[in-house]
Amino acid sequence: MKFRIQAYDPAWALHAAARAAAARWHRQGLLPETQRAAIDAASPLGYYRPAWLLRVVLFFFASLGCATAVGFLFAVLPGGSSSGAVLTAGLCLSAGGFLAVLELTIAGPRPYHAGYDNALLYAALLALLGLGVQAQVAVGGADTLAGPRLGPFLLYGLVVLSAATVRYADPLAAALAFLAYMALAANLALQTAAGPALLPFVAMLAAAGAGAAVRRLARGPHYFYYRTCLRTTKALALAAFYLGGNYLVVREGNAALGHLSFAPQIPFAPLFYGLTALVPLAYLYYGLRYHDRLTLTAGLLAVAFSLFTLRYYRALLPPAVAATLAGAVLLAVAAATLRYLRTPRHGLTAAADDEAPPRFNLETLVVAQANGVAAAPAHGFAFGGGQSGGGGANGQW
Amino acid sequence: MFASPTERLLDNLQAKGLLAPAQAAALADYERQRPFSLHYELRALLYLGVTLLSGGLGVLIYQNLEHIGHGVVAAGIAALMAVCLAYAARRRPAFTWGTAPSPGLLPEYLLLLGCLLFLVLEGYLQAQYQLFGTRYGLAAALAAALFFGVAYAFDHRGVLSLAITALASWVGVSIAPLAAYAHNDYAALSGPAVGLGLGLGALGLWSDLTNHKRHFAFAYLSLGGNLALVALTAALFLGPGQTGVPRWVVLPVLLATCAALAWYARRTQSYLFLLMGAVFGYVAFSYLLFEVFDLIDGLALGLLYFPLTAVGVVAFLVNLKRILRIAPPTK
Repeated sequence: MKFRIQAYDPAWALHAAARAAAARWHRQGLLPETQRAAIDAASPLGYYRPAWLLRVVLFFFASLGCATAVGFLFAVLPGGSSSGAVLTAGLCLSAGGFLAVLELTIAGPRPYHAGYDNALLYAALLALLGLGVQAQVAVGGADTLAGPRLGPFLLYGLVVLSAATVRYADPLAAALAFLAYMALAANLALQTAAGPALLPFVAMLAAAGAGAAVRRLARGPHYFYYRTCLRTTKALALAAFYLGGNYLVVREGNAALGHLSFAPQIPFAPLFYGLTALVPLAYLYYGLRYHDRLTLTAGLLAVAFSLFTLRYYRALLPPAVAATLAGAVLLAVAAATLRYLRTPRHGLTAAADDEAPPRFNLETLVVAQANGVAAAPAHGFAFGGGQSGGGGANGQW
Repeated sequence: MFASPTERLLDNLQAKGLLAPAQAAALADYERQRPFSLHYELRALLYLGVTLLSGGLGVLIYQNLEHIGHGVVAAGIAALMAVCLAYAARRRPAFTWGTAPSPGLLPEYLLLLGCLLFLVLEGYLQAQYQLFGTRYGLAAALAAALFFGVAYAFDHRGVLSLAITALASWVGVSIAPLAAYAHNDYAALSGPAVGLGLGLGALGLWSDLTNHKRHFAFAYLSLGGNLALVALTAALFLGPGQTGVPRWVVLPVLLATCAALAWYARRTQSYLFLLMGAVFGYVAFSYLLFEVFDLIDGLALGLLYFPLTAVGVVAFLVNLKRILRIAPPTK
């Protein structure tokens, strides 16, 4: 059998995407039922992947099993876990064992990100990263992000996590690989004298580079196999790019790096005001212009965080007034948008997609939790209708 | 220009002979020209706006109680509430026991805002004029009656959630999904909490089985079922000394509630209700074995019971689709 880089059959992801697209076209009346059935028949899903709730439970039990196995291993190893060599041997054995079990499981009952295979992968990765931590502790020099000997460890972590992402297409491994990459960039920058001042720009540059890499990889042949990983990395890159230029993060981060008790004004402050204001708007524009929901959502969250940044340093209005005004503005903006998009314009519409409606009615539970009437208080209290909207009353704006 | 993923999917299907070339081109056109839906983003903005506005006004009116401005604020809130409700009323869909067509996002959320402002006003009238005296329950009952009426007349699930929380407040318990665990004093209130939870659950079953607002069943059963199960479990552990309810009453009711939820989960193929039934059923069953039959002591507990039941849980999960009667995907 020919060796394949991907552990799971890449055809599974492709087939799942084909089925979903065919079902959508069928609902739109663009595809006759016979053809949809033919596409389904030609796209078999030969894997096991239960609903998310069960994946969580399976993950939990498999993690428990992995922990038990490691405990058992260290109990039978001679000398216990006290000596370094035994620890190294134990970690190597664990990593190898978990990877072997993972590969055999994928070949056998064919789980596909079904919870228990995720747990096996994470156990193996923990053991491999544990080896790195052990070596790091032995050589020292890594107590801060600027530590001169931290770089090789971060590089090792990046290699291990990237390899895991390439083979198993696991989004958590991809996210951790991205974080190792960002930490490595920061660590390298901080080795120079100008490092702390340049750090925001290094972070933005590194995030932009990761974003460009994601764009490029999305055109690769196995897009559907890596889709979740690419989206995860893209979301993190968008967040890192924005936060790298955010005034609050830069000012407070600068103080934290210099071990200052209060955060003084930073150099290039106007530049960071501009970035804090403009990056969210750029995200919104890009998301709407190119129909990119991830960037649009990132833009909305970034707008909220930029307003928080503003309020953090210049609280112009008391919280209750600010919440009232913000609510009124949000309602007005949404109402105007609804009116404007009554007929679709610029390729945008306010109507729901034709996707199947969600079965799980989240809004019911959210309204009950966030806006519900609190239980009637004991005697001596004023009846508190004012508690009903806790979300607006805490001065987040 | 690089091909988008959908275009590559189309190429792939065409290459396999599953789509005719003209059809693939038409689908590609459709995908390119399909408008981008902002529906859920707008919903989120409207919900956030409604929550911030009613919350902000609620605090504002209390802060101004001492000042001359509170009358103005109250009048403003009343006027805003009237506008919201009138706007929603003008676009009210005709009543039906089925699902009414949506009047649009704005009327839906302004209706929710109107109801939240009603709560703000009620709180204000009580704080300023002691309108309800010490009969706080009256305020909650009034709100519950109004909200249930509005929820059914306007076919609005958000207002139904408010109505259920107001009803629970009248009874004296918190029914919000998380508050049900943390905020209730079950030593004093387990009886009313169980009664309310089971009553709401029964109402939900009636809705679904007789097709009277079937889409409301989820709210009744999830909120009511959660409250009943938590209250029953609390009563089981607190014992008759504190709650005044004997365990031989609590335990069968708890097991029956779990069984009913599992039965309903099978009917609607719902993982949430099955999980609720299974988790609380497991607790009740373990309690039965340990305390009532005294079958298992501490050592056997660790060595036998939990590993064995863990195996049982996994077997249960593996066969879950069969239990829920969800057909396996056709190969």
